[in-house]
Amino acid sequence: MTRWITAGTLAGWIAITLAVSAQTGSRPWWAPGDATPLADFATYQNDRGAVGVLNTSGRLETKGHPFFEPIGANGRACVTCHQPADAMSLSVRTVRERWEATGGKDPLFAAVDGMNCPHLPPDDPRSHSLLLDRGLIRVALPWPPRNPDGTRIDPEFTIEVVRDPGGCNTHRTYGLESANPTISVYRRPRPVANTKYTTHQNFGVGPFIAKSGLPTATDPETGRPTSMNLMSDARAPTLAVQAQDAAAQHLQLTGRLTAAQLAAIVRFEQQVYVAQVSSPAAGSLVEVDGPPAFGPRQLAAGDAGVLGNNTTRYVFPMGEKWNRLPRTANESDNARNAARESIARGHDVFMFRTFWIRDSMHLNTVGLGNPTKRTCATCHGMHMTGLDTVNGWMDIGTTNLPWASEVPLNPWNEAKPQMPLFRVTCKPEVKPHPYLGRVIYTQDPGRALISGRCNDVGTIVMQQFRGLSARAPYFSNGSAATLRELVDFYDRRYNIGYSDQEKQDLVNFLGAL
Amino acid sequence: MVTPRATRGSALLGVWLLSVSVVAAQQPTNFVSCPIVRDTASVPCWLAEYNGELYFLTLQTDVSAPVNPPSLGHRVLVEGTVSTEPRICGGIVLKPVHLSVLERDAACNTMLPAEERYNLTFEPPRPPGPSGGRLAFANSAPASPPAPTTGSTREFVVSYSFDGLIGFTHAGALTGILNFARTANAREIEIVGHRGAVRLSNGQTIVEEPTIGKKRAEQIAMLLQGANLKGPAYKVSWRDEAATADGVDDHLSRRVVVTVR
Repeated sequence: MTRWITAGTLAGWIAITLAVSAQTGSRPWWAPGDATPLADFATYQNDRGAVGVLNTSGRLETKGHPFFEPIGANGRACVTCHQPADAMSLSVRTVRERWEATGGKDPLFAAVDGMNCPHLPPDDPRSHSLLLDRGLIRVALPWPPRNPDGTRIDPEFTIEVVRDPGGCNTHRTYGLESANPTISVYRRPRPVANTKYTTHQNFGVGPFIAKSGLPTATDPETGRPTSMNLMSDARAPTLAVQAQDAAAQHLQLTGRLTAAQLAAIVRFEQQVYVAQVSSPAAGSLVEVDGPPAFGPRQLAAGDAGVLGNNTTRYVFPMGEKWNRLPRTANESDNARNAARESIARGHDVFMFRTFWIRDSMHLNTVGLGNPTKRTCATCHGMHMTGLDTVNGWMDIGTTNLPWASEVPLNPWNEAKPQMPLFRVTCKPEVKPHPYLGRVIYTQDPGRALISGRCNDVGTIVMQQFRGLSARAPYFSNGSAATLRELVDFYDRRYNIGYSDQEKQDLVNFLGAL
Repeated sequence: MVTPRATRGSALLGVWLLSVSVVAAQQPTNFVSCPIVRDTASVPCWLAEYNGELYFLTLQTDVSAPVNPPSLGHRVLVEGTVSTEPRICGGIVLKPVHLSVLERDAACNTMLPAEERYNLTFEPPRPPGPSGGRLAFANSAPASPPAPTTGSTREFVVSYSFDGLIGFTHAGALTGILNFARTANAREIEIVGHRGAVRLSNGQTIVEEPTIGKKRAEQIAMLLQGANLKGPAYKVSWRDEAATADGVDDHLSRRVVVTVR
């Protein structure tokens, strides 16, 4: 659903945040420069139990570590938006708690991208509404896009700003018509964890993109093709490139990370694993003889970049133990076993419940037909993470109309839509988009802002499924506030017809990952 | 009231009647039509009607399929040969068959529900959900040619759908060219783009867009250079005139010939 923000709703969530915090305690906030060591294994509570953070290289001294130190001009560190308690991402709950704790003074709310646009008045929650309401960070991208060598790409489409609630895309300094034409989109920070999966060099990675035949982005250091699954628009091919880009854009580092800083950041990102480890209803998810799908230690031990959309390896190997568990006179045990059975059923919905997948760019165009009768695991097929093994940008409609959340305006509600809206027109010499035609309305053109290609409009690299309970909201634009809303989106988009039980089981399964 | 047994009998009779085809085997059958999806108890079938007859095009399998299903919302160009195989999903089997997704057409939107009489009588290469641990056609890939040596020359033919450019089916072919050129330390890459035509069974001939040969040739050069194959000299040309079409293997005219030397 489209989120609407008014003074009333802001006051509402502030009240709710305070109430929740009073009941469950605030999330532990890892401030930049906090010299506390990061334990080799730590757990952090969330609404669905606890998430585990594993450092495979052991306890990490964060004092002086560039991931944890405010190395840029605005007081942020990498950890600002990649919090251990939030599965190395950033939940909107944490964002709101920081606003309350600091009156909006935390570096998290820096004008550069923690505001809807830097020209807005600071310290006013309305200036930060996308971050406060959806956990979104502004991402400013040059238009037209450029190749890695800096040369300009001639895009296949023109783009116009239809709606600009934050004012950035039409601003004379920051907008599309400025001296440095820029498009601002708003996206969720992705988890910096389990990166051997997001950067794998295994199945589906080659010199040409498996879904389009176009050249694959290469590692500038080695020249090797990359999996292009790291960021929502695949603009950074490696952890090192992402770190340099993020330091400049988000930390406002003048100059570049030193080789030593870069190495330390990448090394840390390669050693940290996150996954949910417990559930209030299902108990421990990481018992010795439990399903091998769960917990960060299983992730650390898993094979990266291999297909799991099969009955030999599975995406999330559950085994059969939780399919049917005994009932006893102990009510507590029975409730736990019932919760575990729900998780197992949710896995089966994910893996085996077929539905018709239709008009989804880079899925229905890759040889399966349109529509194709498949399951969730068709796209989310990488073993242990639910990522795509090949280059994973796809349009499922989270940002493109007609499927993106757009509440029709009406005269009885003063609320206005928060997200920008763009009109993309594919040029006459280019074939129109096979499913959306020549004119496309989108809240975020996604990969197309990097590639300049019509067929990439609204395509977003799919995310890993880990630590979901710690890092709501979901989708790149934060349009699903809860796992239930996420499931409901798919149900609506693909006319799946899930039963309430299937939805609840699926939510319980996703929440356990 | 019709009893279930009688219904089943009627269905079998229907299937039998449908099997008595007046379409001659081995006959080239080329037409443009709307694709039809027919669900089954396992994977869906893809069909198309032409001239009052129903043709089976392919099954849903996976990315390794030699024939990829078409797309609802688009017309499809079917270039096939009538086979002697029993009907599948009620359709006369075209084999071999080449399918091209054409322009958008909202009227192409027929999805037929599963009916017992149309269920597959064989195990499909790939179920609709998770696989058994291998791609449906993983073992059908041709053996790799011998490794090149420095100075080797080889010709590669890149095939296309009608009016098509590079897509997901081409990553393997492009990788083959790239690897050969690197291994052979190629000095020159000659690329010639061709424009195809198809003679349909109704006597009409359709030709690809006038600049398609140029677009194909230039795109191949751009992609190879984009993959950092910048050492060899590129010699790029194309044929604006469309190939002559006779209705037999016309799909071969949609191609780019890449010679690596």
